[in-house]
Amino acid sequence: MNGFLYGVTLQWKLDLRSRTMLITCYAVPLLFFAVMGGIFTSVMPESKETLIQSMTVFAVTMGALIGLPPSLAEIYRSDIKNAYQANGVPLSLGLILTNLSAFVHLLIMSAILYVIAPILFDARIPKHPETYSGGLIILIAVSLGIASIIGLAVKDAANTSMFSILLFIPSTMLSGIMFPSDMLPRAFAVAGKLFPATWGYQLMTDSAFSLQTLCPLLSISLIALILCVSLLKRIRTR
Amino acid sequence: MTNALEVKGLRKSYGEKVVLKGIDLCVHRGEIFALLGVNGAGKTTTLECIEGLRKYDGGTISVNGRMGIQLQSAALPAHIKGKEAVRLFAKWNRKTADASMLAALGVDSIANKQYQDISTGQKRRLHLALALICGPDIVFLDEPTAGLDIEGRISLHDYIRNLKAQGKTIILASHDMAEVESLCDSIAILKDGEIAFAGKVTALTEKIGKHYNIQIRTGQGLETYESDNIRASLITILKNYQERDIVIQDIRVDCGSLEQHFLKIAKGE
Repeated sequence: MNGFLYGVTLQWKLDLRSRTMLITCYAVPLLFFAVMGGIFTSVMPESKETLIQSMTVFAVTMGALIGLPPSLAEIYRSDIKNAYQANGVPLSLGLILTNLSAFVHLLIMSAILYVIAPILFDARIPKHPETYSGGLIILIAVSLGIASIIGLAVKDAANTSMFSILLFIPSTMLSGIMFPSDMLPRAFAVAGKLFPATWGYQLMTDSAFSLQTLCPLLSISLIALILCVSLLKRIRTR
Repeated sequence: MTNALEVKGLRKSYGEKVVLKGIDLCVHRGEIFALLGVNGAGKTTTLECIEGLRKYDGGTISVNGRMGIQLQSAALPAHIKGKEAVRLFAKWNRKTADASMLAALGVDSIANKQYQDISTGQKRRLHLALALICGPDIVFLDEPTAGLDIEGRISLHDYIRNLKAQGKTIILASHDMAEVESLCDSIAILKDGEIAFAGKVTALTEKIGKHYNIQIRTGQGLETYESDNIRASLITILKNYQERDIVIQDIRVDCGSLEQHFLKIAKGE
């Protein structure tokens, strides 16, 4: 196993040992699913059609926006980055490893929801698994991109939490997973379109990929990539 | 090039503040070299520029060999185990960690402990092991024994001497003058961003001159004398006690420590 693959495996294990990732990627989404899944399907039986997608969007948004920034902050706002730089480990490795590890954790969590939602709440399996899977992968990638910006840019733990929550709450409330978007006031519906969760949810419930849905997600991921590269350069150049 | 490190005219400013005013350094292969200076003299900046961790404004730095760097302020993820850290850095450097090196530094005893659970001294030894994994020719050690107990310091000093015996060049920054005196072949003292002294440790003591403090304890109390000629002074003093018929209980001679010499140069005392 080469250094990179070992690094990914090791980061995945470190995330499992870290309570933050366990709580944000698994415990809270499962609890939310257990409570809200029961409520949604009782109050609105038609929500069974999209329960897997809505709970998955919540889990991905929570795991990425709340779970990833502290891991990045641990590396880039501490002496860990010095140890990496001094021993010839590229500074970007921390960003890549934490993202890949979080990606795997979020995929696992999504798979768990996919399996247990039909069993517990009689949720419907997505009619178009290919668009669901593609949408899920894109949503995870874009959400992790935004989380990476927070983790690299914000300079202290309190602000990291604040920015994460400031993005997480509107992402979940305005994306259509809690209330249908067409029931939201127009201003909120428009604001919801700024967040990847809205487009990700739409993509995962659509019957096919559409440019109209893909474009905003690709644009956000491109901006996130440029910002992450720029932030890494700023961290490296002291 | 026979030198492990050559620095010429190194300059560095932070905004308006000039930290390094064009310093020159030369470290020979296979020697233990210490960079000294009071806080804020520019030691860490100098080392970080040499190590490639910090950009500098001017001058040239030539490092002849592979570097291994143990920083004073370095950390690892809280949940990583000792053996995992060693394996990660070894794999990344495409090397195999030397088992005897890990054993000598006591890293094998923390192989299964998480970084957050090991002591400061164990962390220092782990970071030194990580710095040595790449098989460096030049090893940078920033305050290597800070936070270590006496046993740890002695074993680390032995290990540093062992590295020298293997032909490695050691460059260290330290505040511990006893450590410098015991380990180092040559030193440089930084003062206000300039080299105030560079040369052999012995040359420093010769430059400043020997000055002795003599303490004599008798039944009547403690008396102290100062001397620049220890042989002549001791003969005179002892003769004097003999003539007065006073029994000497204890004699101590302190020949001005490197610390005092260092302070004279670094602080201009």
